[in-house]
Amino acid sequence: MSRALQKYLDRVMIYANRNKKDAAQIRAELEDHLLKKIADLEESGLSREDAVFGAIEEHGHPRTVGYGLRKRFSWVDVRTHGTARGFVAVGPKAVGIIAMGGVAFGLFAFGGLAVGLITFGGLALAALFSFGGLSAAAVGYAYGGFALGLVAVGGFACGLIATGGMAIGLIVPQAGTSIAPQNSALYTQYLQDSFLMSRQITVISTFLFWGTLVVLILTYLVLTKMEYHRINRADPKLVN
Amino acid sequence: MVRLRKQTLDGNVETLLLAILEAGPSYGYAIAKELNQRCQGILQLGEGTIYPVLHRLEEKKLISAKWRLAENGRERKYYRLTARGRKALVTNRQQWQMLGVVMRRVLKSTKNLSPKPQLKGATI
Repeated sequence: MSRALQKYLDRVMIYANRNKKDAAQIRAELEDHLLKKIADLEESGLSREDAVFGAIEEHGHPRTVGYGLRKRFSWVDVRTHGTARGFVAVGPKAVGIIAMGGVAFGLFAFGGLAVGLITFGGLALAALFSFGGLSAAAVGYAYGGFALGLVAVGGFACGLIATGGMAIGLIVPQAGTSIAPQNSALYTQYLQDSFLMSRQITVISTFLFWGTLVVLILTYLVLTKMEYHRINRADPKLVN
Repeated sequence: MVRLRKQTLDGNVETLLLAILEAGPSYGYAIAKELNQRCQGILQLGEGTIYPVLHRLEEKKLISAKWRLAENGRERKYYRLTARGRKALVTNRQQWQMLGVVMRRVLKSTKNLSPKPQLKGATI
């Protein structure tokens, strides 16, 4: 068999990147095709050399044929010809998976963040109210605590408690003083715990998101480098 | 002569190859030759580009393959249509016939919808 034909098949198989068994079968099949084509072209009156090059030309560019023969879903794709020399692409499915994963993590993280902000708001309002309730009860000015309870959405329940405390405070100032701040403080503590938990979820989600992204980028770079070296080792002309 | 664009053809070479294998088992080179003959020059594919499609069809079990000894003493891979492939071909053929009718009707009717555009005195 001619050297040109061997070289052509070598290049097709570099791009095809199949395991030994598959590669041998594919190569045998392509070789049979090309030999038959050469024989036909020679029969039609072409010289052996012209027939070989004619057969190769009609068979298609080694990169086109080789990439087509890759196992489906190749993660890394190194294009080394023409204007796209050195351009590296990740398989579309891989991009989809990365993007979906990223979006999922992103949503989770932002969801966590949002929860954190809400609970932080609740905490602030509850704290604000509890201090209002505390002062109101302590000095016996229950109206202040009541107003704050209405304003504070997150601390509405505290408002009710404080209102109760205020009522008691009106009747028994000592009782109001002790009950209102205590319940408000409990609710505040609950909100604070929720906030801390949300913050932890947010931190973990964000870490997972960025961590996964970094791992994926590193994996992609390593795979790309490996693919580049594989083609370069097999036939440096394809990448230089 | 107007040639078909690759984008127009994407995904339809499978049907073309199934149609060629309908006549009976065949091998890569003969399939490519038959395809070129039937296309009469309207469609020109690199002959090597049919192999990925054949392998894909084999993966989908629409065709099956067997290595047999050829007349030149070399092993040759023969492809034949499976029952599933035959069924797929019938469906694809019907789809294409319907699409053909739709395209012809729609493209023909648009002729009368708008006047021909005029550009700087030239008629397109």
